Amino acid sequence: MTTYILRRILQTLMVIVILSYVCFSLMTLMPGDPIELMISANPKITQEDVVRLRAFYGLDQPTYVRYFNWVSEIAKGDLGYSRTYRIPVTEMMGPSLKATFVLSMGSLLFAIMVGIPLGIYCALKPNSKMDYLVNIFNFGGISIPSFFLGIVLIIIFSVGLGWLPAGGYQTTGMHYNNIFEELLDKAKYLILPILSLSVQSIGRFSRFSRSAMVEAMRNDFIRTARAKGMSEQVVIWKHGFRNALIPLITIVAISFSSVFSGALITESLFAYPGVGRLIYTSIIGNDFNVAMISFIISIAMVLLMNLVADLLYGAADPRISYK
Amino acid sequence: MSETVNTPPSAAELKSIETSQTFFQIVYTQFKEHKAAVFGAYLIVFFMLVAILAPVIEYATGTDSDSQNVFNRYKPPFSKIIAPQDAREQAIQNFVRQNPEEAAKIQTSLLEKNLVQPVRPEDALYDWVNLEEAKAIETIKAIDTGKKAELVKMVHNFKSFHLFGTDELGRDVLMRLVYGTRVSIGVGVLVAIASALIGLIIGSLAGYYGGVIDTVLMRVTDSLLSLPILPVLVVIAAIDLKKVLGGLVSVAESLFGATGGNLAQEMVNNIFSGGKESIYKLVFILCLFSWMTVARLIRGSILSLREREFILASKTLGATDLTIIVRHMFPNVVAPLLVSVTLGVGDSILFEAALSYLGLGIQPPMPSWGNMLFNAQELIYQAPFLAVLPGILIFLVVVSFNFLGDGLQDAIDPKTVRR
Repeated sequence: MTTYILRRILQTLMVIVILSYVCFSLMTLMPGDPIELMISANPKITQEDVVRLRAFYGLDQPTYVRYFNWVSEIAKGDLGYSRTYRIPVTEMMGPSLKATFVLSMGSLLFAIMVGIPLGIYCALKPNSKMDYLVNIFNFGGISIPSFFLGIVLIIIFSVGLGWLPAGGYQTTGMHYNNIFEELLDKAKYLILPILSLSVQSIGRFSRFSRSAMVEAMRNDFIRTARAKGMSEQVVIWKHGFRNALIPLITIVAISFSSVFSGALITESLFAYPGVGRLIYTSIIGNDFNVAMISFIISIAMVLLMNLVADLLYGAADPRISYK
Repeated sequence: MSETVNTPPSAAELKSIETSQTFFQIVYTQFKEHKAAVFGAYLIVFFMLVAILAPVIEYATGTDSDSQNVFNRYKPPFSKIIAPQDAREQAIQNFVRQNPEEAAKIQTSLLEKNLVQPVRPEDALYDWVNLEEAKAIETIKAIDTGKKAELVKMVHNFKSFHLFGTDELGRDVLMRLVYGTRVSIGVGVLVAIASALIGLIIGSLAGYYGGVIDTVLMRVTDSLLSLPILPVLVVIAAIDLKKVLGGLVSVAESLFGATGGNLAQEMVNNIFSGGKESIYKLVFILCLFSWMTVARLIRGSILSLREREFILASKTLGATDLTIIVRHMFPNVVAPLLVSVTLGVGDSILFEAALSYLGLGIQPPMPSWGNMLFNAQELIYQAPFLAVLPGILIFLVVVSFNFLGDGLQDAIDPKTVRR
């Protein structure tokens, strides 16, 4: 067990290091480097200045040297400055990570709470009208682009009905008297993003839990449990659901990555200040420090979640052994 | 008690019972039972036809997909637009400049037959062009000229009908959607097929050889699978193709000397000359990140095939690895591969749309459903219709591919739960 965890952590670290290097070299391939941006901002810069600036920022060195310099800076705790906002990257990361975490966890929880009961209900009443309807809804949910759903939701609820805000994080200039008021205000801004982000996961969870539950309820031990005269509730939840849980954990764990990645679009659409939007805007705006750090942190977060999910299997299914 | 009538089967029935069905016949009959999948298949055929016949549709409806008109932006659906006076006069001015002699001839015959009554004789053509459509055509038919067809077409173009209205540059939305079908479905199908090929190669190598090759390939596959795909795609899509290809050119130059460098430079210029470089880039990037599921699937199938007797038999007969993999294993994985290609098309279309929606995919002026949504979202309040249409099309196509894939899966794999 310990060796397994150690190996997995090592592997995760390796992926992060490789990816950060790849990402670092990709950044050099993006249109415009910092010096070019300075040149465009200041027409008086001479060619000698350019050479001097390049040497000063170490941009004349090969990519791997720059990468090692950058990593050693990070190891010292210096994440650099944002070019656009002129504040340290450390100050930007905290709030946006929190915001993204709230959004993706919120939609994941919402999807679990809606999708899995739907799927189980359909598995217990196969071929009913409800089953048929839910199946159509599932396919729709999987196929609808989240940004399109977001736009439609904005058109209906913000433009048409005016019930909910079209985007943002909290009401600007709002003064909160107590924490309850603050939560209520922020929740209002979360409803549409969570809805548009979770529809795809709902579809996937519901389809998956239906088939997992159908499979589980076919086992012989279900018949045995019924024959012993156990109540239907016990049979379904203790014998059926417990066995359907393992594939469900897999799909939920995989979904964390896709919800997180979908958050990029949802955040951009709803102008929600999360990491996904930070990655997008910093890349569009040539803000290399922010782009690198936010990209790597978000990937590390996803990989860490995958690790946790892997370890959770052991708790859900004692038959699984780690070697 | 009900009576059962026992009629012996007729000769034709007997024949159909006795002849065994081929695999694809069975799949076909199974597939037909899945109503949604059949519906999806029809819808896909329809969209494919639209994509292939896009120029024909453009010709038939008589609308120009590229013509812009800033005076007619954001027209609602079902709007008719009649060209203003200055646009008409501009058109006739161009005509006069291009065919001065012919124009002079038409002008004199217009005046001779007294069809227009201009203040000055040289305004005859300009007066004619401002007539009503029916009258203008009638007039031009009355005189004798070789350019009759061109002029009639010009008059026709002054009146345009926009079924779905116009966009932010006054272009016809219907035509943009039709051409967008081409790009979106084209990219989706291309990416799905290419990534299936990559996955097939990697999966069969890993499954067949096992050992270190398997471990390395599957580690890479798993690592890529666990990444949050969209941030990765955004980072990669933002790279400048010119810088990458410039690097490749210098590599070719150092490897093969000046001729190699020149050849590479020529190829790069070719890529950029068509204005389609964003498509190549997008297809390449999407392929990089969509082969993993196929690879895992193929590896699993090959692992189990490897232990079968017919593989042992062909090994005993001295078949090479390549023969075994290509001739004996591939036919056995075609069916699951087909399913995952079908599902892959839907996913690829979604990713293409997502990247284009973020402004990092297909670059305008080339229309794709994703970048039409990108352009439309800023004017959600004024023209919500513009944002809804491409989204509905993306949804319809993706749902069709998903239903088709599901239907194929059910038909091919007898183990799946029948509905």
